[in-house]
Amino acid sequence: MSDYDVIVIGAGIGGLCAGALLAHQGRKVLVLEQAPRVGGCCSTYEWNGYKIDIGASIIEFPQVINWAFERMGTTFQKEVDLIAVDPTFTARLHDGTEITFPIDLDKTKEEIRKLAPEDVRGWEKYSQEMDGFLKAALDGFFVTPARSLWDVCKLFAKTPTLLKYGSLFFGSYEGVLRKYLKNEKLLEALSFHSFYCGLPPALLPGHFSMIPYAEHGGIYYARGGMIGIPLGLQKCGERKGMEVRLNATVEKVIVENRTARAVKLSDGTVISAKIIVSNINSKKLYTEMIDQSNISRLARAGYKSYRYSMATPMIYLCLDYAPPLKDHHTLMTVPMQKMNDYWFDHYEKGEFPAEQFGILSWTTRSDPSLAPPGHHIIAVTLAPGPYRLKGTTWDNEKETIMQNVIRFLESRYLPGLRDHIVHADFSTPVDFEKRLLSPEGAIYALRQDLTNAMMFRPSAKSKQIRGLYLVGASTHPGGGVPTVTASGMIAADLIGKYES
Amino acid sequence: MKAVMIIAVILCCLFVLYATFPKSRKQFLKNLLSQAKDLIPRYFT
Repeated sequence: MSDYDVIVIGAGIGGLCAGALLAHQGRKVLVLEQAPRVGGCCSTYEWNGYKIDIGASIIEFPQVINWAFERMGTTFQKEVDLIAVDPTFTARLHDGTEITFPIDLDKTKEEIRKLAPEDVRGWEKYSQEMDGFLKAALDGFFVTPARSLWDVCKLFAKTPTLLKYGSLFFGSYEGVLRKYLKNEKLLEALSFHSFYCGLPPALLPGHFSMIPYAEHGGIYYARGGMIGIPLGLQKCGERKGMEVRLNATVEKVIVENRTARAVKLSDGTVISAKIIVSNINSKKLYTEMIDQSNISRLARAGYKSYRYSMATPMIYLCLDYAPPLKDHHTLMTVPMQKMNDYWFDHYEKGEFPAEQFGILSWTTRSDPSLAPPGHHIIAVTLAPGPYRLKGTTWDNEKETIMQNVIRFLESRYLPGLRDHIVHADFSTPVDFEKRLLSPEGAIYALRQDLTNAMMFRPSAKSKQIRGLYLVGASTHPGGGVPTVTASGMIAADLIGKYES
Repeated sequence: MKAVMIIAVILCCLFVLYATFPKSRKQFLKNLLSQAKDLIPRYFT
């Protein structure tokens, strides 16, 4: 007799989504979270009256998240107070030029006309192509398991229009954008989006080039901080008896005869369940938390071969003034080629220069209640940070790097910044690893290139261990708030099908 | 012998084609090819 029907390890979005859906299937669910709060990378912590987002700063594809809530007889909007963010972003290019992308596509076209009149037609063609692709992808790709070649064939058979966009999968993000757009400044403005999926424009598969277009379907911020989204899922699960235990670190998954039986916590407690759902990085799960004798040699080689995704160093700034920015998101960009060069010449060599590119997320622009009256918060998402710094460590360099980056931000984007900082905190890749137990601080868990996608990404229903299911960024469909929500739906569906 | 010749010609053509690719496309292909050996074990995960 097991203590629970289901134990979910990790209260990230994927874990909470799966847990809540399984509770709605009538199962007795326990969610164990090592942190003092839920949400993983989509969470918020408090410092002296400031509510600071840890990672995610907006959500795209709200319809995907809504599907999860609809399955529980409610809606995303009902459970989470969402604030529409418009424009999607303003890009401040390396030469000081600014371009804004309003949600409205016609208004965006007018903005493009001002910067790159020669690309208006190209933008229209790009929008048309991405609109078609997105509809097909949302229909089939997001909530369909892709565990085997057969699954992938079924996916394409179910949504044959996806075949029309097959070439997108075999080119790069950069290649697709360059097919439609010629103006280097416009390309620069749209380049950083590739890091939303963890790779530079030259390496990211082309189908992700729909992201800048997808933002025009609406982007949202959760009032009170991004933790509102996981809390909404938690609330739905708790209505059906789901239990969430914080500060509970799982050390091992106990497997007998290739069947998951229980989990062992760091305090020695053993809790048994019929099904284990893991929301932790699957490479860590299979290589460190499960007795290797339960895993075939070939699969062991597979798990070891995965490369962790990039880490994203973040600086959180609490300010006593309104920063001289326009929008919720300001992208600090460099030319597309420089973003690629940064990856190969700095990131892969363990260097982290102070002259940065990234995103300034001015969250109090959308929700002033996050900070005391008149005060503001900016979360600065920097360029990918190497986990291992060449010749030194993050702990040694943390303060120096933060001060250098703040000086750079002041000189380029936020004049007078240093006189208005009430509090500054820097989350390095090592801090992300410590806080979220995410190996190497990898925010998308595993790299998201084609060779780590679909049937080549660890399967939602374990191919090695019976009764073990995966959710989160390290299984299909990958990293990002809507995608990990989809992984929760996929796992719940598979459990409903195979574990009745 | 004929088969070897055909393969050699195909390889030459592919090499010439690769040489004409822009730097970013070469990086994209190189990245995929470097992981090709991992596809079989990854399929079993």
